[in-house]
Formats: sequence, C-alpha cells, structure tokens
Amino acid sequence: MTQEIPLTESDRNRTYATKREYRTRDVDVSELGTVAEDGVELRMHGVDHTARPTWKLRETVTFYRDILGLPLLHTISARGWGHPDHPDFLHFFFDAGKGATIAFFYYIGTDRPERYEPEDSHFYTATHTAWGVETREQLERWKETLESRGLVVSPYTRHEGLESIYFRDPNGYPVEISLRLRDVMEVDAQDAALTLQAAMELEDEANAEGTKIGDIDTIWRRKAALVGEFLGGK
Amino acid sequence: MPLIYVVDVPEFFPLVESARKRDDYRVTETGKGYFVIEATGSLQFSRKEMQLKPALWYGMFTGGLEGEITEWDRDTVTIVDIGKKP
Repeated sequence: MTQEIPLTESDRNRTYATKREYRTRDVDVSELGTVAEDGVELRMHGVDHTARPTWKLRETVTFYRDILGLPLLHTISARGWGHPDHPDFLHFFFDAGKGATIAFFYYIGTDRPERYEPEDSHFYTATHTAWGVETREQLERWKETLESRGLVVSPYTRHEGLESIYFRDPNGYPVEISLRLRDVMEVDAQDAALTLQAAMELEDEANAEGTKIGDIDTIWRRKAALVGEFLGGK
Repeated sequence: MPLIYVVDVPEFFPLVESARKRDDYRVTETGKGYFVIEATGSLQFSRKEMQLKPALWYGMFTGGLEGEITEWDRDTVTIVDIGKKP
C-alpha cells in the first residue's frame, strides 16, 4: 500500500503538483499556433507502444504471452509515479514487432471503475489498435491459429486499402490485425482532404444552427461540389 | 442528372467497369484522381455484379454524389436526380 505522506511546500512545487496543466487544461485549437505559421515540421517514426489499463493481470499475461505468443519484453513496477494519489502499479510490455510494444498498466489494489467495463458498442470499439502483418498468408495464419486455439475471430473484412480480422482480449479490448493491400497514394491524401473539408464545413454550419450533420449523403453532396471545383468546373 | 465521382483507386474500379457496360451511363476519366459517372435517368449499381465487399459497398460514394439515394440495400443502390425522390 502507498503510505499517505503529507505534502510539504516543496512537494507542492514539484512536477506533479504544479506542472499538471498538460493533463488538465482543455485544448482550444483556436488559441494554438500552426505549422503554417512557424514552418517547423514535426515527424513521427512509427509506434513505440500503446497502453491500456487492466484489472486482470494473469489473464492478460496468459493471453498476450502464451496464447498470442508475443514475448514479454519489459516490466516496470513502481510505487505510484512519486505522486501521492497515484496507485502502485505494474507497467508491462509485449513485443508487437518493428520496435513497437503492447503495454498495460495494472494498478495495485484498485477495482475497475464502471466506465471501463467493456461494451458492445461502436463508440467503445472505436478505441483500438490495428497491428500489421506483411502478407495474406500471415493474416490467414493468425486467424486459423487463434481459432484453433479456441478464440472467436471475426471474418476477414476488406476495407479501402486494408484487410483485417478482429477479436477481443480478456479485458474486452478489441484487437485488430491488418494487412495493408496497397500503398497509400497521392490521390488518397487529396481525396481525404476534400472529404474532411466537406464534413468540417457542414459541421460548422450545423453548430451555428445548433443542429448536427444529418447523414453521410449530405457530406457526399457537399463533397461533390468541392470535387467539381477541384476538377476545374466539371 | 445524377452523378458520382469515383476515386481513382483499385478498390473502386468495379464501379467504373460496371458503368462502362451501360450505354446510358457516361464515364469520364478526369486524370485528376476521379472518374465521373453520370446518367440522364437514374444510376443503379449491383453489389453482386461488382463483387464488392460490404465495407466497400457502403463507402463507394465517398468521392462525391450529386443526386438522391432512393434505395440502398445489400445488393442494389439507386440514385436519382435531386428533387426527384418519389
């Protein structure tokens, strides 16, 4: 158990007491600078790790290490983060390939809050990570192997540029395994910009009227107008 | 008249190929990332004929749409001129 230690004045001035604004302050994009303004381009280089909380330590280790077969690479065990309100925890990492890991936090002595209970809803499963494989044979190997080990796996699902299978882990978290079917092309990025431009315009208009965008057809019609302009007036 | 823009990527080629088989549809390749498919009457597509997977079928008008979708089930979609929805 973490002991409750009264905070001294110097404690209060330490990072966790005074520099928490990055966790608590709402982000107002209208107040922020942009790439176009300062010209500084930031780039990411793939995934280091994803992290989610778990309240099922043994099941999580068994699932990722022994059933999926991902090597356990690292475990941190610590007394909070030096913060009096932070529970003691384990933070452990499974190898997901290409230097990326799947990480979990196990908070000692805590119960899972109700809002972290898994749900059968699109909003809930929207938060997921898709892990890549390189070939169709590998995708099939994942599906067939996991099914033969008794796990329920979705049918193959073909999207634009991706083919995926889905399953859940013991925490209820959705896991996606994806095969990229083709490289993303310039036309994809150009089209993406126009689709979101159409949707953002309609969102602004709906917000101004206190309504919501009605349906995807509305976006497609606005998009058609933008594509028509882009093509130089059909 | 109803019109769709089809993004020039392989997964949507079946739409273009299907439209090209129809004398009453006009298909234009813009060379700028979109095909244009238009018809004087209604535009209709069949999922079975195009062999599109459901996830693509329900996203195939992402390029843009001029018209109104009057029916859209698992196998058939019909687009008519705007304002002509029965």
